[in-house]
Amino acid sequence: MGEVRALIVDDSSVMRKIVERTLRQAGLNLAVVLEAGSGAEALEVLKAKQVDLILSDINMPVMDGLEFVRQIRAQNLASGIPVVMVTTESSEEHVKQAIQAGARGYIRKPFTAEQVKERVLPLVHGA
Amino acid sequence: MMLNGIRSGAVAAAAEIQRNEREQTMAVSLRESVELVSDPRNLDSSVEEVFRMMLGLDCRRESGPQVREAESVTAVVGFGGVLSGACVLSCGGAAAIKIAAHMTGMEFGEIDDTVKDGIGEICNMLAGSWKSKVPELAAHCGLSVPAVITGRDYHLHVQAPEFQLHHVYGFGDVNFAVTIVCDGLQ
Repeated sequence: MGEVRALIVDDSSVMRKIVERTLRQAGLNLAVVLEAGSGAEALEVLKAKQVDLILSDINMPVMDGLEFVRQIRAQNLASGIPVVMVTTESSEEHVKQAIQAGARGYIRKPFTAEQVKERVLPLVHGA
Repeated sequence: MMLNGIRSGAVAAAAEIQRNEREQTMAVSLRESVELVSDPRNLDSSVEEVFRMMLGLDCRRESGPQVREAESVTAVVGFGGVLSGACVLSCGGAAAIKIAAHMTGMEFGEIDDTVKDGIGEICNMLAGSWKSKVPELAAHCGLSVPAVITGRDYHLHVQAPEFQLHHVYGFGDVNFAVTIVCDGLQ
């Protein structure tokens, strides 16, 4: 697999590091890891940088993850780039909302490297 | 320590879900399921799941009281929607530092912003895991972003809660407490 540029969006810097570490444990060859603390910050990153994969929390201040994904699609940023929600919210309703907003995958916190491997790697391969 | 400010974020999150359920005609009620919602085993399995998956630690439930330290860290995540209340993770400084170290693989000499961030995230995952044990709760109860308080000699007080779970858990030579306070149930 080639090198991947990832954007990790979470208001917790600890969670951003954990997500990065887990992506590496899952076998993803990360060339660049960009970080953002909110959806609004992440939109600014996407206007300036190209990425191959986005992982985003849902519950964040300023702009939550669902609105972030809607804005990516509305502003035609990162067209075709897979977005995976990584969140504590796990109900069918939350998953449905995320998919409707434009997310391609969903991982519930807490998670294992195996779950990340199953749900993220196919999206990167197929992107 | 008051919960109103923390809870407003959770209420907003729950309102977002409910806006998307306008077509749903049957009102959701947890009143008849209070025994299921307050089942103490749900809290134990949530703590076990979060600590094993995110920290690689096996926690044990302790029967004694939480060890009091001069400095403590408390994280609060509010619930809003069909259940209002909060999930509270409280630990001494030594436990907070060990939890953050296991999460990040880093060493900490004091309770800095990364330690506080880590404790807030663990509380967030505990709250999410706990509410996911009851499907109606998972779907119709929002979570606030975590608030973290550090200091000495503070107490959480909720007037007339519907129910409250307070369990102490330990790993290694430290322990911590997790409290679920429910002050409103639809």
